[in-house]
Amino acid sequence: MLIFSIIAWSKALPRTLTVAREDVHIGTNEAPWVIGLRRNDPEVLGTLYNAHYPTVRTYVLRNSGTEDDARDVFQEAILVLWLKVKDGQLIPEADPGGFLYRVAKNKWLDVVRSAAHKHMKVIHDDRLQDPLDGSEEAIEERLVRLRGVYEKLDDKCRNVLDQFYFERKDLATIAAAMGVTEESVRTIKYRCMMKLRAFRNAIRGEEKEWG
Amino acid sequence: MGMKNHNLEQEEFERMEAYVLGTMPTLEREHYEKRLRADAALRAELEQQQEHIHAVELGGVQRTLRELARVQRATPVTSRRWVSYLKVAAVVTLVLASAIWWLSRPTTGEQLFAEHFRPDPGLPVAMDASEDPAFDDAMVDYKMQAFAAAREKWSSQLKDRPGSDTLRYYTAMAALGAGDIPGAVPLLEKASADTASPFADKAAWYLFLAYTHAGDTAHARTVPFDPASPFAARAATIQHALR
Repeated sequence: MLIFSIIAWSKALPRTLTVAREDVHIGTNEAPWVIGLRRNDPEVLGTLYNAHYPTVRTYVLRNSGTEDDARDVFQEAILVLWLKVKDGQLIPEADPGGFLYRVAKNKWLDVVRSAAHKHMKVIHDDRLQDPLDGSEEAIEERLVRLRGVYEKLDDKCRNVLDQFYFERKDLATIAAAMGVTEESVRTIKYRCMMKLRAFRNAIRGEEKEWG
Repeated sequence: MGMKNHNLEQEEFERMEAYVLGTMPTLEREHYEKRLRADAALRAELEQQQEHIHAVELGGVQRTLRELARVQRATPVTSRRWVSYLKVAAVVTLVLASAIWWLSRPTTGEQLFAEHFRPDPGLPVAMDASEDPAFDDAMVDYKMQAFAAAREKWSSQLKDRPGSDTLRYYTAMAALGAGDIPGAVPLLEKASADTASPFADKAAWYLFLAYTHAGDTAHARTVPFDPASPFAARAATIQHALR
């Protein structure tokens, strides 16, 4: 089990990743939803969810799925969209509805075709006309790896890092909420990130031993 | 990289963080990018830190999506379906109402009739002994807007005195007052043709209005008006509007 964990973690190491700074798009004519997703804006996430979930829901329900199935594939599709935006892979004019539908539909077709669902009947299957370009699959692999990284954090680290990186609160606000000094928050944040780094370096060492 | 591979100083880490989050000042960023271009180890470290930051952000996005799903799950499907049905019903109702309004809306001729038709005020009724008490009795009904009763009485009298232009004209007026516009037309045609009658001009005007109401512009054009009559100009105005 430990070996599998180590292998999964090692895959989280960057291969061809290039750094996409968040400010490089400032001043460009990006769609508001792209800007919102890059900043993890919950309002934009909510708008996308409410606007495009019903279409995916209808598709999944018509193809032997349940409400929960529809939610699962739609959430996964939003995560793919979010990570593509983070990586700067989407053109600003891209239609989020069409993209979400395509990714969710293909994910659901994968489920339907799996051994556990062979009895299901697929009414709409036009995947041949609507193929994934491969980058979505790579993104989904990355999502799995990123989840693995997040799971390594303890609650205290998650609390501080989440407020700083996801909610984008400043150190003073986080410190005030926690009843500590800004310097303490800054130190906690640094140490938590270094824990992740140390784990990565440990895996590198393991890889050399196994390699 | 200016540091040991096993130790990423806090200051260096925070530079990477500021670069990834886009909060690094422009000048500092330009210097930093020069360093990045020259230092592969620094680039690798930066990419790894960005991946860790994305991992934290992903945790927050997933939490937000779970919350959105919880809210969405709490909204019963049936009520959402009913909202859809109600929206469809509202649209159908609106379309039907529009269609009914469209089909039942007054024609141009009916609008012009309503605009120009004023009932004849009738003749004075003598308070004392009358030469024609039956006529006067019906005239009282007419003035009381009991048009059906007046029409019945005058129609009966007209059978006995078919040559009476007064009876013919007011029977037509009672028919118009009762809303039987087509029923007034034959009487008005005769009354307007009797050019010797003092009622000829007015009969022609009401005949013109009756044809206009029916949308019968061809007959309306043939109604004979005395050019000196005030009705001639009004009829010309209406004909112009109809064109």
